[in-house]
Amino acid sequence: MSIGGSDLDKAIAQLRACRPIPENQVRELCYKARELLIEEGNVVGVNAPVTICGDIHGQFHDLMELFRVGGDVPDTNYLFMGDFVDRGFYSLESFLLLLCLKVRYPDRLTLIRGNHESRQITTVYGFYDECLRKYGSANVWRYCCDVFDYLALGALVTGASTSLTPTDGPLSDTLNADTLPDPDAELEIETLSSTGEIMYRYARNSSPQASSQPTSNPPSSPNASTTPSRVGAAGTGATSSANGSTHNEGGAVLCVHGGLSPLIDKIDKIRLLDRKQEVPHEGAMCDLLWSDPDEIDGWGLSPRGAGFLFGADIVKHFNHQNDLSLIARAHQLVMEGFKEMFDNTIVTVWSAPNYCYRCGNVAAILELDEDGSNEGYVRRSNGDAGRLKAPLVQKRLEGPGRRYRVFEAAPQDSRGMPAKKPVADYFL
Amino acid sequence: MAQVAAPANDRKRVKVYELKNNDWFDRGTGFCRGIIVNQDEARIIVNSEDEPTRQLLETTISKDDGYQKQQETLIVWTDRNGTDMALSFQEPEGCAAIWDFVNEVQARLQMMAHDDGLSDENDQHEGSIMLPMPDLGNLAEVENHMRAANQTPAGREALAKFVLSENYISKLIPLVEMAEDLESIDDLHRLCSIMKILILLNDNAIVEYVVTDDVILGVVGALEYDPDFPLHKANHRQYLSNDRFKEVVKIEDPNIKKKIHYTYRLQYLKDVVLARILDDPTYSVLNSLIFFHQVDIVQHLQSDSAYLKELFGIFSGKEQNQQRQKDAVQLIQQCCNVGKSLQASIRGGLYQNFINHGLLDVLQFALKHNDVTVRVAGADVLLSLIDHDGMMVRGYIFKALQEQKKPLTDTLIELLLVEVDMGVKSNLGDAVKILLDPSALSASFDTLTRTNSEFSARMRGIGLPHNDSFVQRYYQESTRKLFQPLKNLEGRESMDNLSTSEVTLFIYLVDVLCYFLRQHYSRSKYIIITEVLGARVAQLLRCPQQILRLGALKFFRACLNLNDDYLHRQMISQDVFEPILQIVFDTMPRDNLLNSACLEFFETIKRESVLKELLKHVVTTYRDRLEAITYVDTFKDLILRYEQRQEPVSTQEVDHSFTSVESDTPSRTVNIPSGVRWGQALRDPDADEEAYFNGSDEDDDGLPSGPKSNGASPVRPLVNYPDDDGEEDEMDILTTSAPSASPLRAIRAQTHSNQRHHRRESQTGEGKKRKKKTN
Repeated sequence: MSIGGSDLDKAIAQLRACRPIPENQVRELCYKARELLIEEGNVVGVNAPVTICGDIHGQFHDLMELFRVGGDVPDTNYLFMGDFVDRGFYSLESFLLLLCLKVRYPDRLTLIRGNHESRQITTVYGFYDECLRKYGSANVWRYCCDVFDYLALGALVTGASTSLTPTDGPLSDTLNADTLPDPDAELEIETLSSTGEIMYRYARNSSPQASSQPTSNPPSSPNASTTPSRVGAAGTGATSSANGSTHNEGGAVLCVHGGLSPLIDKIDKIRLLDRKQEVPHEGAMCDLLWSDPDEIDGWGLSPRGAGFLFGADIVKHFNHQNDLSLIARAHQLVMEGFKEMFDNTIVTVWSAPNYCYRCGNVAAILELDEDGSNEGYVRRSNGDAGRLKAPLVQKRLEGPGRRYRVFEAAPQDSRGMPAKKPVADYFL
Repeated sequence: MAQVAAPANDRKRVKVYELKNNDWFDRGTGFCRGIIVNQDEARIIVNSEDEPTRQLLETTISKDDGYQKQQETLIVWTDRNGTDMALSFQEPEGCAAIWDFVNEVQARLQMMAHDDGLSDENDQHEGSIMLPMPDLGNLAEVENHMRAANQTPAGREALAKFVLSENYISKLIPLVEMAEDLESIDDLHRLCSIMKILILLNDNAIVEYVVTDDVILGVVGALEYDPDFPLHKANHRQYLSNDRFKEVVKIEDPNIKKKIHYTYRLQYLKDVVLARILDDPTYSVLNSLIFFHQVDIVQHLQSDSAYLKELFGIFSGKEQNQQRQKDAVQLIQQCCNVGKSLQASIRGGLYQNFINHGLLDVLQFALKHNDVTVRVAGADVLLSLIDHDGMMVRGYIFKALQEQKKPLTDTLIELLLVEVDMGVKSNLGDAVKILLDPSALSASFDTLTRTNSEFSARMRGIGLPHNDSFVQRYYQESTRKLFQPLKNLEGRESMDNLSTSEVTLFIYLVDVLCYFLRQHYSRSKYIIITEVLGARVAQLLRCPQQILRLGALKFFRACLNLNDDYLHRQMISQDVFEPILQIVFDTMPRDNLLNSACLEFFETIKRESVLKELLKHVVTTYRDRLEAITYVDTFKDLILRYEQRQEPVSTQEVDHSFTSVESDTPSRTVNIPSGVRWGQALRDPDADEEAYFNGSDEDDDGLPSGPKSNGASPVRPLVNYPDDDGEEDEMDILTTSAPSASPLRAIRAQTHSNQRHHRRESQTGEGKKRKKKTN
């Protein structure tokens, strides 16, 4: 009955083959996960390097593709920003696999809660039906919903390097080699295809290139007109124009599923929430899971009916207040897989390619490199206090170097036939 | 085409894409224009940017749908030859101009089509279709014809008509086995594609036809060879040819029996065979066919009294076959599940019929069964029944009570306390929660006495002084039974040796207790107080299991939400703050869930001015310990807040209630020795307390002691706005519509939403003030 050690590995193997595990194993798994998650803070501390992923939505085969592109667990350190379930056909397998991996490698995987990790939403958008169909009763759904209540609300990534080590890979056909930045320049953004081809590179403070394609959204439209006053390592006041300082620690990166809340001005306020509850309809916890950035000033009503819309001014002020250089969030479909907004102060990462098997979008994951100078950094995974007592930096913190890996839906033939389990016997 | 003007043909720079093998193939960049050829033809043309003489695209605009504008700069459509095409514009303006042009042309073409609408049927091109009789030699041709016809609504209609009238499907079926014998995988793939096209025509008659006995195996046989999965073969035939139908009681009517099989096959098509490729229209065709079949089946069975007699007779004791009893429970469960989607009146008839034949006895049988699947089924039926008409179920409970029989709730509570399956346990718990809802109990009782003269005559016979006391006594006795295990904790020295099943049970009971506290404290407080349940929950704060400690903490957090002085004073006299503070010390400075929940607890005391007595108690009793906690500001602020309140009124926010009581007796509560037990705080009774301690509930409804929030756990703003008064108002708004965590409610939401994604979107808002859309 108990699920530990080799049993857990067996369960992982079975789930990787997209086959559900028996109900009693799910129960054990959920109990174990609960014990583990209750120890996590509302905002989990995560150390770079880390790969940040957005919505999965039960697209199991695309999750496998994600692991193929981004590296397998535990080799790669992952952070999933919620919405594991609903919409796709394999919510159960996707969520249980992630949960198994979490229990097996607690330090290599961080799961935070999305707005779909909720009883009310899952009864409408498919996860409840799926559990009912695959197990004949709603028990498994109940176990999973219990776990949802324990999931963290956010994560704070520290120790990310401000510049990327350029990936050694072939150039994509679509890339005009002339637009590549100087090899010595500090690399801020790099976009790679699923096969590792370099699709785009951008050096810090270089001028934006005109896109060679008339139609494509430049991946992030990095705007060089941001403040010219560059700073070096936090608090040093040094400018990064000095050659050689290519590995600076920028500000931290806050990861949440939705966005900000008017009730939360400091990250430490998130700590004061009792998160063990169904996602409420209002309030800070709801907002973190439901809000969206938008081209407005200040706060606005959200058309979703929950959470708020928030503008660039809100994000910039919040980041400054909390010594953040970037907010990473998910929650909204972006056709290009990721979208940076507000002078690169917030990014949406979306990891469900061809969403709902019909939207035609690509997906992305965001890799943050480790800051080379970060040795001796104490991992503060669950908890040490005073995380934000770092000296206040006057100027805007430099964002971390960001490597986006873009990928498409898993090819059809890798998927196998849909394994929807039919009802075994029928009386009517 | 006179009315439609060609768009201004300035240079609209555009990229042309064509979908090849699921990849968008770039045909090149050029300039796009729309031209009008003649009365009934308009085209979109793109000339290459590099060689203006070369055409990258020339396409005639068709009158039928199929053009989509995506984002600001993209137009996507399926060309007449079936190719998916896309134009990606550099400028949104250019895109908009072409888009408008397409729309205008389409509107014009459609108008013209309507003008001679009568001639449609004679129109050789669109109105009818002829396909060659299929053989393995011409499948490619057949498939191409079908694809072409599939492009337009008229073509689809004609195709459906032809296929039905010529019995075309039955002619395709022998080809499957022939192709299999020849191992001709290409032909099998073609047969599969053809079958997919035919089913996705979403013609009711075709879908009905494919599940009939003669063709079903052939149809799913063809669908086993999906060209999208060239390396796989499904085994639908094998699955469907095994007889999975369990006829618990013989069904005489052959039509009904057929419908049962058809329904099963339709479900199999929907959930398995077609799951990946279903579009919304076909999905709803399948769903509605299934629905109508099920209505017919259930209607037929429930009106067949011989059938019901035999079905329920299975539980009469004469039946020796245990498997048959299990099957019968599952059959009843399926009936009830189908019943959920029926009209309320038909559903009511179904349940009434079932109950008359002995459904409640079956429930008792099922819930006590040693096979967990039977218990699951029983709990499911029970919840369907309660969900349909809780009042009716309560009526049966009252009658049982009147006849001195054991009420259903007693059975449920007994089972709840011993049930090992968490799913069944929580179902039973939900059932108990709903059945014991005090206001619903009163309402059910009133209805029963009003409508059932025999019942009310008997009630008078028993000679109870007041109807309500009957209900109240029942409520209290049931509640007492429910919480007995908690009460048994009294005198237990150590919490270190709780067994796993005890932990599970206490987690559950504390959760139910919180629910009672939030939902009907005015009724449950008598039990909570006389049984000293608060003190028992406080014991659990010291157990080693974090989850149970968290549950216990949530109970006291719920107490804070009730503006009930008496309850709060009990918290002080019982000194629940010491163990809670101890949890802070045990967990700090770790940033974990339990620690956060404690912080939130103390933040609430700090923030809410009505909790001033608690604030004073905490600060004056534990000042040293509070000052020792520095990893967060909560405790420093707690002291600060208390001290602000001690200052004269003029220097701080106005708080009338505070000044009148507080400044007169600055340290009254401090003098209460910690260690006083719950109940002893009655030393200082006031009218309110007296009233409810004596258990008279009727007066309480108007008191402010009712729950402030009815939610699972209310949300409070975390930011302390400078003006306290405004904050209070805002908070009330924020707490008025907290969510219902009841799975039953969730299940209800689910059963009302048989449709798919986008249609479901409109339903997410159920029970909420504003509609939610999700991503």
